[in-house]
Amino acid sequence: MTEPYVWWAILGITFATFLSRSSLHVLGHRLQVPHTLESALRYAPACALAAILVPDLVFVGGHLDLSFGNPRWLAGIVSAGIFAANRSMIASISGGMAVFWLLRAVHGG
Amino acid sequence: MHSKCVRWPISKITPSILSESITNDAGAVTSRDAFLRGVRELMPAWPGIFAWGLVTGVAMVKSGLSVTEATVLSLMAYAGSAQLAALPLMATFAPLWLVTLTAVTVNLRFVVYSVLTRKHFAHLGVQQRLWLGYLVGDIMFARFTAMVEREPDYPHRVQYYFGGAIANWVLWQISSLIGIFAATTIPTAWGLELAGTLTLVALLVPLCASRPVLAGVLVASVVSVLAHDIPMRLGLLLAIAFGVLAAFAVERARGES
Repeated sequence: MTEPYVWWAILGITFATFLSRSSLHVLGHRLQVPHTLESALRYAPACALAAILVPDLVFVGGHLDLSFGNPRWLAGIVSAGIFAANRSMIASISGGMAVFWLLRAVHGG
Repeated sequence: MHSKCVRWPISKITPSILSESITNDAGAVTSRDAFLRGVRELMPAWPGIFAWGLVTGVAMVKSGLSVTEATVLSLMAYAGSAQLAALPLMATFAPLWLVTLTAVTVNLRFVVYSVLTRKHFAHLGVQQRLWLGYLVGDIMFARFTAMVEREPDYPHRVQYYFGGAIANWVLWQISSLIGIFAATTIPTAWGLELAGTLTLVALLVPLCASRPVLAGVLVASVVSVLAHDIPMRLGLLLAIAFGVLAAFAVERARGES
């Protein structure tokens, strides 16, 4: 990559960060959001988390794989189970990773 | 709590955020308590944040950025998924407007987030709002909204948010830098990025305590899979929109407020 191009791209990505994250904050009270919309958006955090993580677990190399040969979604389910059982994030992450590595070793991939 | 133990440097970084809260009558909770609580409640997520930062650092160098470029990108943009989405475009010298637009769309969920957090920050100065917005991440956002819902009267919510967000920033940058400098020694085959995804699983589970949320999560999951191939990760936005609609419809149907 040639230097000036990369630096302009870095500036562009930084601008994108500020634009998307801070523009509504900068507007503050000047922007009125309808009450119904704001109340519906209470569900956005959970929906966003699901929409980020589910594709990460079920797509392997761009293909949907819900077989037992895909250790990622199985690790996700184990992780969720561990968290539901004991509310420990560390146990949930490490348990899920352990299952992932174990299954991958079993499948020889 | 010993009041004279440590002088926290946050007062130097954001004097006005801090003094604003001191003038509020806060009862027993000081703004420093709130800051530390934010840090503390973020910390269980550290393995996920760390693994994610590491993977992003490695990916930046492996796709051709120099150590300096990758470091500056990480420190300035602070946007894991947007950085990753921009890398293949930069590698092929895609037009700058396309690189920027892609980073905006990948970050668009933060616009939705800021609709929800806006009212908690609206009384602050513009510059502070700018930085608090910049520091948002999925993990601290989920933590913050859950806390505000649970404890609507918690006095120093800005400091709480700031503490967790700064801790996230520091953890992320450290791991990202390690990834950048150790790019050649960390094999991508380890699948470390999964730890980041599993962190989100642990954040999502406790939110799924009501029918509307469950319906929203289910619909968002299905739409995110169906819309996976839409470019610039716009499928993510579609999934959030349909999920929110579904949750709201269930809420209305059940007559919950």
